[in-house]
Amino acid sequence: MNNHFILKKQAYLFIAAMALLWTSCKMERIAPVTESKKDLTGTWKVVQATRNGTNLLPIYDFTQFSIKFDATTGSYNLLNPVPFIVGADGKFSLDDPQYPYKLTFTAAGATPVATAFNYPIINGTRQIIMTFSPGCSQNTYVFTLSKTN
Amino acid sequence: MKVRLHIKGKNLWRLCTLIVLCIVLSCCYTIIDSVDQPGSAVVGSTVKITVNVKNSCNSSGTARIIFGFLTPKGWKTGDNAKVTYSSSKGDGNMVLLPANSTIIAAHSNGVNWPTYMKNFFGNAGNLIDDVEWVAYQSDVPVNYNNGDKITGTINITINNIGADGNPTLVKLAYVVANDQNGFTFDGNDGDSSPTTEYYNEFVNPSCFELTGGTGDLVDFCNPQLTTIDPPKSLDNDIVTLTYNNNVVTPALLANSSAVYLCATATMSDGKTVTVCDQSAQTMLTQTSATSGIYRLTFWPRKLFGATTGQTVISMTYFITDKSGSTKIGYGGTSAPFTYKFKCT
Repeated sequence: MNNHFILKKQAYLFIAAMALLWTSCKMERIAPVTESKKDLTGTWKVVQATRNGTNLLPIYDFTQFSIKFDATTGSYNLLNPVPFIVGADGKFSLDDPQYPYKLTFTAAGATPVATAFNYPIINGTRQIIMTFSPGCSQNTYVFTLSKTN
Repeated sequence: MKVRLHIKGKNLWRLCTLIVLCIVLSCCYTIIDSVDQPGSAVVGSTVKITVNVKNSCNSSGTARIIFGFLTPKGWKTGDNAKVTYSSSKGDGNMVLLPANSTIIAAHSNGVNWPTYMKNFFGNAGNLIDDVEWVAYQSDVPVNYNNGDKITGTINITINNIGADGNPTLVKLAYVVANDQNGFTFDGNDGDSSPTTEYYNEFVNPSCFELTGGTGDLVDFCNPQLTTIDPPKSLDNDIVTLTYNNNVVTPALLANSSAVYLCATATMSDGKTVTVCDQSAQTMLTQTSATSGIYRLTFWPRKLFGATTGQTVISMTYFITDKSGSTKIGYGGTSAPFTYKFKCT
C-alpha cells in the first residue's frame, strides 16, 4: 500500500516536471535592430587639436570656432573659421547614412574634400575626429569635435 | 647501473642547439674609425662621403650591415643618394629602407629602422626638427668568424645635394650596426662604450655648409633668435613663432612677460600688409617666468587679413618691446628676419 502511494507520487512529479519543461521553452522571434542613421545636426566645437602631434589647445584659441551641420538641408556653416578641411560654408554628405566611412565637404564653388568618418562615443557623447592638412601636405592636424548643447 | 638516454635524432638536436647558440651569441663590435666628408658644397652638386668602419668579432655568424645617415628632410636623400659598401668580406650595394619600411628592427620594440634611429639617436644635436635618418641595409648578409677583424667602408654619393634649394648649415651624422644586434652592447663587458657596442654613431662636430641655392638659409647648428614651427608651412597653417632672448648676451630685450611681433607680409598680388600694433594678436608670451623664451601661435591668413584668392607668400619681421621702440632684427641687427611660406 505504502509502495503504491510513493510510485503514484513519483508519477505525478514526473508529469509535473514534464509539464514545466514543456512550457519553459518558447520560440522567440528576434527582430533585427535597424542601425540608426548618423545625424550630425547641431553645432560642433573643437575639444582637442594637434599639429604634427603638438597639442595646439593651450597655444591657439579655438573657443570661438564652431561648425554647424544641418542634415535636412545638407549644409554646414563655419563660425569664426580656423585652418580647417574647408575654408568656406557649403554642403556636406556621408557616403552611407547608416554605415558611413567618408564625410565629404563641398565648399561653395570649390571641389569636394573628403575625410575618413571617425565617430566614436567618448564619455557618453559622440565625437568626430578629423585628420587633414590645410597648408603643407607634410603638416598633419587632428581635430576632435564635440556637439554643444 | 648506467642509465643510457636514447634521444631520437640526437645529432640533429645537437646541431640545432649549436645553430641557436651561434645566432644568440653572434656579435661584432663596430666602430666608425673616421668619416671623409667635405666641409662644404654647393647646392645641386654631387658630394662623395666615405665612412671607414672597423669590426671585431667574438663569435661566428651572419648578419646584414645596417647604415643610417642623418640629413635634412628637404635633401630627399633617399631619392638622391647611392650607397655601397666594400669590405674585407666582400663588396655590395646598400639597399634603402624607406620611412614606411615594414622591416622591423631588432631590439627596437617593434618599429622599423628609420624610426628606431630617430628614437635612439634623436636629431644628433641639430636644433630644428626637420632632419631624418635615412636607413640602408646590405643587399646580402655578411658571414664572419670568431676573431675576425673586418675593415670596410660605406661609400655615399649624393647627387643634387640640397634638393630643396636652401643653403644649409647642418650636423651630418652616421650610424653603422648590424641587423641582429640593433643598437645594443655587450652586457658582459660592462657599460655601453664604443668598445662594447654592436653599433656606433658618428656625429661630425663641425657643421657641414651648403652654399648657393635660391632659398633661405636653414641653420640647424646655431641657436636662432627666432624659429618657426612647422619649419615648412603655408599661410593656411597654424604657425608658432618662438623668440629666444637668451641667444645673445647681454639679452637684447629686457625681461618682461611679453614681446611683440612687427611684421610685413607680401601677398600673391604684390600688395604688402604691415601688422605692428603691439596688441594681443601680435603678443609673444613668455613660456614661464624668466625663461627668456617667447611664443606666438597664429594663423598667417588671419593675422594679415588675406582675402579670398589672395595668399601670403612671405613675411619680414622684427621682435619689439611693449613700446615698439626697440626692434630686434636678423642676428640682432636692424635688418628684418625673413620667412617664405613654402613646403620645400
